[in-house]
Amino acid sequence: MTTLKIPSPLRTYTDGQASVQVQGETVADALESLVEQHPDLRQHLFNGQGELRPFVNLYLNSEDIRHLQKLATPIQDEDRLMIVPSIAGGSSLVDHSAIRTNQALIISLSVIAFILNLPWLVLLVALVMAVGTALKLPGFGFVYRWLLKPLKLIRPDLLEDNPEPHRFAQGFGAVVLAIGAITLFAGASIVGWGLVWLVILLAALNLLVGFCVGCAVYYWLGRLEVPGFVQPPPEDTLPGMRPKAKA
Amino acid sequence: MRLQILPAVLERIHSQGEAAYPEEGAGLMLGEISQDQRQVMEILTLPNVREDTARHNRYLLSPEDYLKSEAEADSLGLDVLGVFHSHPDHPNQPSEFDRQWAWPNFSYLITSVMMGKAHGSRSWRLTEDRANFIEEEIEIVEQTKD
Repeated sequence: MTTLKIPSPLRTYTDGQASVQVQGETVADALESLVEQHPDLRQHLFNGQGELRPFVNLYLNSEDIRHLQKLATPIQDEDRLMIVPSIAGGSSLVDHSAIRTNQALIISLSVIAFILNLPWLVLLVALVMAVGTALKLPGFGFVYRWLLKPLKLIRPDLLEDNPEPHRFAQGFGAVVLAIGAITLFAGASIVGWGLVWLVILLAALNLLVGFCVGCAVYYWLGRLEVPGFVQPPPEDTLPGMRPKAKA
Repeated sequence: MRLQILPAVLERIHSQGEAAYPEEGAGLMLGEISQDQRQVMEILTLPNVREDTARHNRYLLSPEDYLKSEAEADSLGLDVLGVFHSHPDHPNQPSEFDRQWAWPNFSYLITSVMMGKAHGSRSWRLTEDRANFIEEEIEIVEQTKD
């Protein structure tokens, strides 16, 4: 039997006990043993897919199991296992009007560049997107902020969303466009314009349908636990899809 | 469901929200639980560890910080009752993100800080199915019972 320490917000489900005796060979077994004894705990520890919720941390003898073998970490009888909360909250709003303005300008300038055969314009769009990514803003968002919003031509569309995936998506688009521009300068026009059209189509998918492929890739990398991709997708939304929750 | 709090403690929560503005300030509320009555007797302000620009409107207290706080609560003979945090330039209602990250049985006291001034607090608890928050009454008491 291993001792599993329960944090205070969960003790109502363990009849007030601060620790529970659990059995099993791994941390996953221990958690299964815990929720068998106290079934009401399950929904607070695991999400609908049976994955540990992001704010639930497990420490084995004061070591975070993420630095060990995660849920497969073996446990011994004399070990002390602890459930430790991460506490997070707050409001995070993303103005989707700024993002859509950015996409509309990326699409129209890239199409103009294609029609008039202007590789330098492709490079300029890539630069604006790269600078925006570095400043953590939509690159062409200034058109919205300084012109369209003050003139009340477009209303803010504040949605509860994570800003990080949108930055990642824009940075990714900037890199593809920059490679496209360099390829065009090198004379490989089919490959070059192909890359430009890839960015145009992905931006149009986001603008018209509300699906952000770069964001979906961000969440997918997060699921693979790639460092830096820490934000979980908004609940009840397909990862990459524009969230519904209004501010 | 009711959260009792001393005026001086609520005042400290408000000043902390104002001091953190335009960023979000947060901490833990410690106190005593008896039946459905909760009394906040002490607060612990904690560093906000979220690193990027999201700090402006999000907070994150690390598990290490939480462990230290629970040890401190134990040494004072108190329980961790919940979390307080400020919403800079937003209403004192829980956000979708608050709900997704909420712990059951905790009181979530939210202070609206508009243009740097605290504009009142409301307290909320997660429902058992995790689908919603319901408001709990905040009772300002002059003296906590001993």
